[in-house]
Amino acid sequence: MILELMIALTAGAAMFGTGLYGALSQTNLVMIIMGVELVLAAALVNLVAFWRYLHPEEPAAQMFVLIIMAVMAVEMTVGFGIAIARFRSRGSVEMEEARELKG
Amino acid sequence: MTGMTAQMIFLAFFGAAAVWFGIVVFRTKSMVRSALALLFSQTAVGLMFLVMQAEFLGVLQIMMMATEMSVMAIFMVMFMMDPGGMGAMDMTHQKRLSLWAGGIGLVAALAVIWLAAWGPAVPNIPGAAQQAADLGRELLGRSMFIFQSAGLTILTAMVAATMVAIAPRKERKE
Amino acid sequence: MTIIWILLAFLVGAYLIAVLESWAVHGRLQPARPAFSALALLGRESLLARTPDRLFFEAGPVLLLVAGLLAVAVIPLAPGLIVTDLATGALFLNAALAYVLVALIMAGWGPNGAYGMIGGWRFLGQFVAYAMLIVMPITAVAMRAESLSTVDIVTSQAALWNIAYQPVGFALFVVAAMGLAWLPPLDLPTAPGDLAGGIEAEYTGVRLAVLRLARMTVILALAGATVTFYLGGWLGPWLPAPVWSGLKILLVAGLMVSAGRLVPRVREARYLALSWKLGIPLALTNIFLVGVIALVVPI
Repeated sequence: MILELMIALTAGAAMFGTGLYGALSQTNLVMIIMGVELVLAAALVNLVAFWRYLHPEEPAAQMFVLIIMAVMAVEMTVGFGIAIARFRSRGSVEMEEARELKG
Repeated sequence: MTGMTAQMIFLAFFGAAAVWFGIVVFRTKSMVRSALALLFSQTAVGLMFLVMQAEFLGVLQIMMMATEMSVMAIFMVMFMMDPGGMGAMDMTHQKRLSLWAGGIGLVAALAVIWLAAWGPAVPNIPGAAQQAADLGRELLGRSMFIFQSAGLTILTAMVAATMVAIAPRKERKE
Repeated sequence: MTIIWILLAFLVGAYLIAVLESWAVHGRLQPARPAFSALALLGRESLLARTPDRLFFEAGPVLLLVAGLLAVAVIPLAPGLIVTDLATGALFLNAALAYVLVALIMAGWGPNGAYGMIGGWRFLGQFVAYAMLIVMPITAVAMRAESLSTVDIVTSQAALWNIAYQPVGFALFVVAAMGLAWLPPLDLPTAPGDLAGGIEAEYTGVRLAVLRLARMTVILALAGATVTFYLGGWLGPWLPAPVWSGLKILLVAGLMVSAGRLVPRVREARYLALSWKLGIPLALTNIFLVGVIALVVPI
């Protein structure tokens, strides 16, 4: 059993849980994006921990971390683009006021 | 590998900091505080990378998140009715469902982590300069195509987000 | 022991920069002026604004100081005279300086005052302009050195300093650095005469003293970075290595704090437009040219 790996993964799991709670419970689009960012950060922690303790000879693991960072940036960009468009047309980015998306 | 090592203590400390700041994000009423709490959570993640001897990734994470979360802060101030959190309004819904979802996610992940057999640890890792060189060779070698697609995705997202966010022409004239 | 020497050197440097800046502002060389104004600040009451975000208000100047000191930690003054020679030093410098933005936003938001807040958010706009132009010239420098370590970057310039090897990168980096240290003509976050001091408006006493010291540290770190990346660090004939780095850093810092005062203040929208439409294409060309030169001519 590798205790360091366990500690890192546990921290990652706790961040994942917190992020999931936040993404589901918040009513504001920007806060939801923050929850998703936390979930992705948890994924980053796990990836680096796997690289460090199980496959340190594999640079592809580090490359995967870079890709996840790119995903975080893209998620934020697109989220804020939508947020600006929504704010311009409806004057708020509250989820409760976006019920028409339910169909 | 038994007994407490300095690495474990630091990992536990920064891990706890990352989780604590992550919780603060959703507990504080002030939006700027919330964005900066997320920043410090991400910085703690970057410090965890440094503890795990992934120097390049750690420094990169610390640098990128400072920017990203500051931008997040200004969007919070722009879009929120009460960015300072003086009114102490409630901004949550479906709390019970979310708590259950987060809790189940946490428990499931913990169960997998603690029940799985991870195999033996690999003690030797390349030095920081070697890691950066290896990563560069990986990016411009085997994984070049994936890296290029990531770059293209970012470019597409930038263009798309800008197009969506630009004001329609008649509104701009006013 | 090295750390203490470097800290002392940078304290002296910060003092000298303060003297130079007051010379540039007031037109008279008064070597004792910063000491007196620091004493006056320390003796003055440190006022607290009404309903502040207390945490940010206190943490802002301190975080700025920490960011400046961390950036100083990877600047080599002589062979072996460096706090830590990280394998990713050039990137680390950048990461440390990214927290200048965070500190200014905290300091601007904290005191719950209009001028401070506008100053803080203005700096975010300015950041969007300068951020790319800090990173991209450093990329070209690292390409020549084939390393991100600041010591390797200095030794790579033994044959030819980078200011001659990549003058475009140098010009872009200095302008971006002036934006980062909010020096005139890019001093929008403080903007004396326009914002009544901006982020400094609500700070008094000890906190203001820390804020000013932190800013001097940031200026010094940037001057040190310019010297390390473009002016050959400690390299030079006759004089010993630390003297060369000291002289170069002081010269660059002096030019940075004084030269911009001859130019009218630049609006952040204009700075943004210039950086993105002119600066980034130039920086990309610079990277391309450096790559071609590095392949063709072995210097």
